[in-house]
Amino acid sequence: MFSKILIANRGEIALRVIRAAKELVIKTVAVYSESDRTSLHAMLADEKFCIGPAKAQDSYLNVPNLLTVAEITKADAVHPGYGFLAENARFAEICETSGLTFIGPPPSIIRLMGDKNRARQEMAKAKLPVIPGSDKILDDPAEAKKIAQKIGFPVILKASAGGGGKGMRICRTATHLEEQFPIAQNEAKSAFGDPSLYLEKYITGAHHIEIQVIGDKLGSVLTFAERECSVQRKYQKVIEETPSPFVDERLRRRMMKAVEDAAKHIGYQSLGTFEFLVDKDKKFYFMEANTRVQVEHPITEMVYGVNLVKTQIRMAAGEKLHFPFTLEVRGHAIECRINAEDPETFVPSPGKIEFLVLPGGEGIRVDSAAYGGWQIPPHYDSLLAKVIAYAPTRFLAIKKMQTALELTTIVGVKTNIPLHLAILANSDFLEGIYDTSFLEKFLAPKPEA
Amino acid sequence: MTPKIDFDEINKIVKFIEERNLAEFELEVEGFKIKLRKNAPPSAAPAASFSAPGGPAGAQEGGILKTADLEPGGKADFHLIPSPIVGTFYRAPSPASLSFAEVGDVVKKGQTLCIVEAMKLMNEIESDVDGVVKEIFVENGKPVEYGQKLFAIAT
Repeated sequence: MFSKILIANRGEIALRVIRAAKELVIKTVAVYSESDRTSLHAMLADEKFCIGPAKAQDSYLNVPNLLTVAEITKADAVHPGYGFLAENARFAEICETSGLTFIGPPPSIIRLMGDKNRARQEMAKAKLPVIPGSDKILDDPAEAKKIAQKIGFPVILKASAGGGGKGMRICRTATHLEEQFPIAQNEAKSAFGDPSLYLEKYITGAHHIEIQVIGDKLGSVLTFAERECSVQRKYQKVIEETPSPFVDERLRRRMMKAVEDAAKHIGYQSLGTFEFLVDKDKKFYFMEANTRVQVEHPITEMVYGVNLVKTQIRMAAGEKLHFPFTLEVRGHAIECRINAEDPETFVPSPGKIEFLVLPGGEGIRVDSAAYGGWQIPPHYDSLLAKVIAYAPTRFLAIKKMQTALELTTIVGVKTNIPLHLAILANSDFLEGIYDTSFLEKFLAPKPEA
Repeated sequence: MTPKIDFDEINKIVKFIEERNLAEFELEVEGFKIKLRKNAPPSAAPAASFSAPGGPAGAQEGGILKTADLEPGGKADFHLIPSPIVGTFYRAPSPASLSFAEVGDVVKKGQTLCIVEAMKLMNEIESDVDGVVKEIFVENGKPVEYGQKLFAIAT
C-alpha cells in the first residue's frame, strides 16, 4: 500500500480523497493555488504546498510544480480527482515514468476514451451499441450532409476532443447543418485545440444513464447499477439518482453486462463511468466513458454500502478486487448539486460565506469543502456542496432531500437551492417521468394563460 | 567539550566581516558564544528592525527565520523576492561554495541570489532590483512553495 498520496485537485473531491486516504492510514499532500490558501483541502491534509497563482493553468495544471512537490514530499502516488489533470493521458504517463503511481486507468485507456470518436468505434467492436453516425472525422459540411441524410435528421455535431457541451450543435435540417458546421469547428478548435468533428443521430426524449465500473490490475471488472442523470441544464448534471425510475430490471442487467464485457475487452482498470443515452423504447447507446471518479459517485456508494474511492486507491496499489459481501442495491439515493450561483440566471455567485448550516441527520450525506467564513474563490467551478439523501424508497429519499434542503442555511452567496426545491416538488419529477429535456422545459418561461 | 575556536579563528571571522562589510556578527556553538559589532554609523539599521515586531529578540536569529512566514502582510518596507516555482532552496551553487548572497550584501539587478531546484534542474533566481539584502527567509536545503518569500532587499 502507498505511504503518501499527493492530491492534484481542490475542493470537495480533494477532501473526498483525504478522507479515503486517512481511513487507509495513508498520509496526504495537498496542493493549492494562491487563491486557495484558506481552502479546506489545504488545511486538512497532512502536508500542503502552494503550487502557483489562482489561474488553474499555472497551478492545478502545472505539471512540473506538481511533480516537484511529489518528489520533495516523497509521495508515492498521485490522485487526480476529477477535472484538471484527471483525464490527461500524458500526465498519467509522466507520473509513471517518474516512479509515481497514477491513481486511475493506464495512459493507453485514458487516451482511447479521450478521443471520443475512436472510443465509439472501439466500443462498437466490443459489441456495445453506439448511436448511428459518422464512423470517422468529418472532412467538410458536404460529407456531414451526406451522412446525416442517410441516418436521418435531427443530428448532433460533436467535437472529437470534446466534452461539456462545447462544439456541440443540434441540426434539424441540411441547411442548418451546413450553417452550423464551421461554427462548431471553430468552437471545438478554441475549446480543445482540435477542430475535428463527428456526427451522431440526435435522440429525442432520451435518458442520460450511466454505469459505474471498477477494475483491478489483474483483469477483474465489476459494474454497478445505473445512475439516472437526466436532470441537466446545458449538459451539466443538476440532480442524479439511483436506481433510475425509468430503468427496469431487465434493462439494468443488460446494460451492466454490456459494460462489463466492453470494459474487459479493453482491459479497463480503476474507476470509470460509461455514459449512455437510452431512448423511449429502452434501447441504449454508448456515448462516452469517463476515466476517473465521477462527481455523482456517492449515490452508488450509498445504495451499495461501498467506498469507491478507497477501493480505487486499493486497486491502484495492486490489490485484488473483492468485497466481503454480496453487491446489491438497497434503497434509493439522490444527489443534489448545490452550486454557488443565481438560481434564476445561473451566473456564478462567488463571495464570502458569512454563515453556513449544512444539513445532516439520518440518511443525509454532505460532501463539501465549504465552511462559514470561507471566501469562495472566483477562479474555479461553482460546486459548493453535494447533498445526498438515502432512504428505503424513492419517495422517502425525495422527502428526506426536501427536508434537508429546507433546513440548509447559506448566507453570503446565492445558491441554486430554490431551483432544487422547485424540481423536487414537480409532479413529473415526483412520478419519475422525466428525460434530458425535462429541465429545459421546466425552466422555459410559462406562457401567459 | 572544549570549543575548537581559538584566536586565529576569531581573526578570520573579523577579516570575513571586513570583507563582507557586515555591521554585526554573531556565532554560537556549544559552550561558546561570540558577538562582534563594527562601529557603524547610526543610520545603518540592523536587519532585525523589521523582522521582529516583538522586540530585539529577532536579532538573535541573525536574520534567518527557521520557518518561512507564509502569511502576507508584515512590514512591506523592503522589496521581496518570492519563489517563482516549487522546489528546493539553495543559497550556494554547490555545498562547498560560498553563498550567492548574504545579509548586508549589495546586489545588482540580474544578480543571482539563490537556486531553486525543481525536476533536477537548477533554476537561478535573480534579483529584479538593485539594493542591499536585508533578510533571507529560508534555510539552505529547505523546500519552498510557489510565491514563498525568499529575500528582502532594501532599495
